[in-house]
Amino acid sequence: MKRLQDVEHHETEDLYYPTMCKVTGAKQITEMEKWYELEMPDGQSLGHSPGQFVEVSAFGIGEAPISISSSPSKNGKFELCIRQVGTLTNVLKNYETGDMMGIRGPFGKGFPMEKLFGKDILVVAGGIGLVPLRSLINYVLDNRKDFGRLIILYGAKTPSELLFTDELETWKDRDDVELHVTVDQPDETWEGNTGVITTLIPSLDLKLNTTIAAITGPPVMYKFVVMSLKSKQLPDDQIYLSLERRMKCGVGKCGHCQINGVYCCQDGPVFNYVDLKPLEEAL
Amino acid sequence: MKPQVAFFDFTSCEGCQLNKLNFENDLLDILKHIDIVEFREAMDDKADHYDIAFIEGSITSPSCVERIHDIRRRSDILVALGSCAVNGGVNAMKNLHPIDEVRETVYGDDKYLFATLPAMAVSSVVKVDYEVRGCPMTQQDFLKLLIALVLGKQPPTYGSPVCVECKLKENECLYNRGMVCLGPITRGGCDAVCPSFGQFCTGCRGILDNPNIDGMLEVMTSHGISLDEAKKRMLLYNSNEVQL
Amino acid sequence: MECFSLLRSDVPALIDYLGDFGEVIAPHGKGDVSYSFEVVRDSSDVVLDYTRTLLPLKKMFLPPVEKLMGFSLKNGSYEQEDVIVAPRVFFGVHSYEMQSILRLDHSMLSGSAESNYFKRRQSSRFVGISFEPDEFHFSESVGVVIEEMEGFDLFLNEVDGDFQLYVLTDSGQGMLNGFDKINLTEPEVVEGRHFKKKIRYHYNRLPRVFQYAYHSDVWADVASRCVGCGACTLTCPTCFCFDVQDEVEVTAEDGMRQRSWDSCMLSTFAEVAGGENFREKTINRTRHRLYRKFKYITDEEGLPWCVGCGRCTAFCPAGISLPDIVNELIQEDEKAQYHRTVRV
Repeated sequence: MKRLQDVEHHETEDLYYPTMCKVTGAKQITEMEKWYELEMPDGQSLGHSPGQFVEVSAFGIGEAPISISSSPSKNGKFELCIRQVGTLTNVLKNYETGDMMGIRGPFGKGFPMEKLFGKDILVVAGGIGLVPLRSLINYVLDNRKDFGRLIILYGAKTPSELLFTDELETWKDRDDVELHVTVDQPDETWEGNTGVITTLIPSLDLKLNTTIAAITGPPVMYKFVVMSLKSKQLPDDQIYLSLERRMKCGVGKCGHCQINGVYCCQDGPVFNYVDLKPLEEAL
Repeated sequence: MKPQVAFFDFTSCEGCQLNKLNFENDLLDILKHIDIVEFREAMDDKADHYDIAFIEGSITSPSCVERIHDIRRRSDILVALGSCAVNGGVNAMKNLHPIDEVRETVYGDDKYLFATLPAMAVSSVVKVDYEVRGCPMTQQDFLKLLIALVLGKQPPTYGSPVCVECKLKENECLYNRGMVCLGPITRGGCDAVCPSFGQFCTGCRGILDNPNIDGMLEVMTSHGISLDEAKKRMLLYNSNEVQL
Repeated sequence: MECFSLLRSDVPALIDYLGDFGEVIAPHGKGDVSYSFEVVRDSSDVVLDYTRTLLPLKKMFLPPVEKLMGFSLKNGSYEQEDVIVAPRVFFGVHSYEMQSILRLDHSMLSGSAESNYFKRRQSSRFVGISFEPDEFHFSESVGVVIEEMEGFDLFLNEVDGDFQLYVLTDSGQGMLNGFDKINLTEPEVVEGRHFKKKIRYHYNRLPRVFQYAYHSDVWADVASRCVGCGACTLTCPTCFCFDVQDEVEVTAEDGMRQRSWDSCMLSTFAEVAGGENFREKTINRTRHRLYRKFKYITDEEGLPWCVGCGRCTAFCPAGISLPDIVNELIQEDEKAQYHRTVRV
């Protein structure tokens, strides 16, 4: 147990003060989602790993946890992509280049990159789940020789809700990326796959001993994706999931993001499936 | 241009409107943000369009229905002010009795001269964008909503019971003083003003979502009041919200 | 460890004397039948025989509502709120309360150590006092006896109406220097103070009970009585959950960010922006509350995160008793074991 006398003053932190970051790029990329590029003050680096998140602050409204969408290999700047679903995110949509955004973080555990080196990476992204996984994807692409196959499964509700469509095109054109995109509700222009994301899994040819799956999506998606992967006999400990909870403080104090005994903001948001299995509140 | 704001009253005691005139120092700050174009208690200008219409009182007659539709058509944002407007308030107690009986009690032999409806929340007739709860609504709450609208953000909603604010202020629990209080299931945001002054909560801000009504009745009766009395207390402000 | 005798009538003089070492905070009467920790203005107002205060002493280190920063909407800038705390002496603290502060130290200082908490917690001294257990105290069942002196600088043990004053630290010794109303004496063991409320098992057996209690019927029974007011968790000395809100002034130009205590018993606690609620039902929340007290942190630290103060029970409008819930889980566990045995 940590005791007061074990702690020196300099070891304590002002945990709740944001760093003001300059918005250096902003673009509404779908009806609901806006993309931002931000710059830390004084040339600092955010120093994140793929899968981590920050707390974004708007004074007068509050804070919200937002996944970092850029690869750590992108120098100097970092990117966020924010869906407008609440008061805070609806205010953030008014932020444009030149505005200052309050940022705390990065927080939590991202994907354990040391365990991913040399492996085939299977990315399973549902909807806005592509945002944190884009960080992983671009990291893999920037260090392409360090990884095996890169298989990306991406599902959205409608074609107009697909994120990062320019990048999807680039990934599609690369020989070293296997991209499969599906939508639940196609429109007349859609020529690709139709159906929920799990329909993409059965036909995959996976090397079971060397494939690592990274899954992010809406809460309802996880069980079904995990089930499909298990029926392909992918071992549990090769499955990583990034969960969404109400991560209010980001530093394991406020209690809002607790999943049984673990804090999503500290022990996650990226978890190995083996660690999630015993947690009844997880999936 | 500052938002054009209007206030309208329906069936109510007009206490919420009067409460706004008591803003004193804050009133000048408020007027920096808005233009008040209609407010019977204080002035008599008229306008064709309102950015924000504040509605006080419940809907209790066919003419009320007509008028609220008219206001809705002329308003961008419509806000229900006070418990009468938000959920029918005390007026809705009449809904617990047959409407003919109510008319006879109030109007006697002239009852056929006055058309009447069950007391309804404004939201059961037209779309309500936001609400300020309470009987009367508090100035604080009204200001918070107004500032939120001026800043273009969502006004606060309250999902926690009055007990939370009581505890944070370290009030002695009225149950420990032998009183029966509706704080545990009543929507907070009032700064627990009644319990802070030794008055039990009467539930004026409405019942929380998904309340444990049976559990609450058990709490009330186990603290010394009859089931009948417990139900009456619960219905005082919430006849339209609670099915007993 | 030295022990001195002190007359009850000389306690106010001791409190006044301690005032030289900082602001003295002690239990006072509040309302008709309640108590609260307040700054001492007149030492004769301090209540020595109290059951428990409404809010735990936690409020002095993690305030119920705390301003974190002031901000300007116009400039998009903020100003840090400095936490400056002068030395404080907490007088008349019960053993379970002290134990709760030690647990809170762990919660707020392990992992990321919070500076606000640390600054408030520094330069504080504690003078304990014994208590007569009422129908709600059960601290002995969670390993905290009345005379547990860990964490205190001085401790007053009531003996026949007067006190024995134990000196436990150098700091405690320092505070008594020159105070002449005490006389060296032999420590006595006080008999006859008994806990009326008990958990049937030793606390070190509880994690095992909780390991199998997740799907117990007891939770549904508790949920049927719980009205979800949050009193249990808001008055709990070891709970530390909080929420953060921004408040804007009427001018719509300035405002502040503040945090306030929150409760995992409130229905909106685990709700996210999209509307998903990860502990939607009361049954999930009552269970979570007890698992936080007896399983989750306990598995890691080896101690129950409940100190037996009885607040959650004493202040529950529905009269839900935490030790009763635990005893029901124990009973159910015994039945299950019996059936397992019989089958074999």
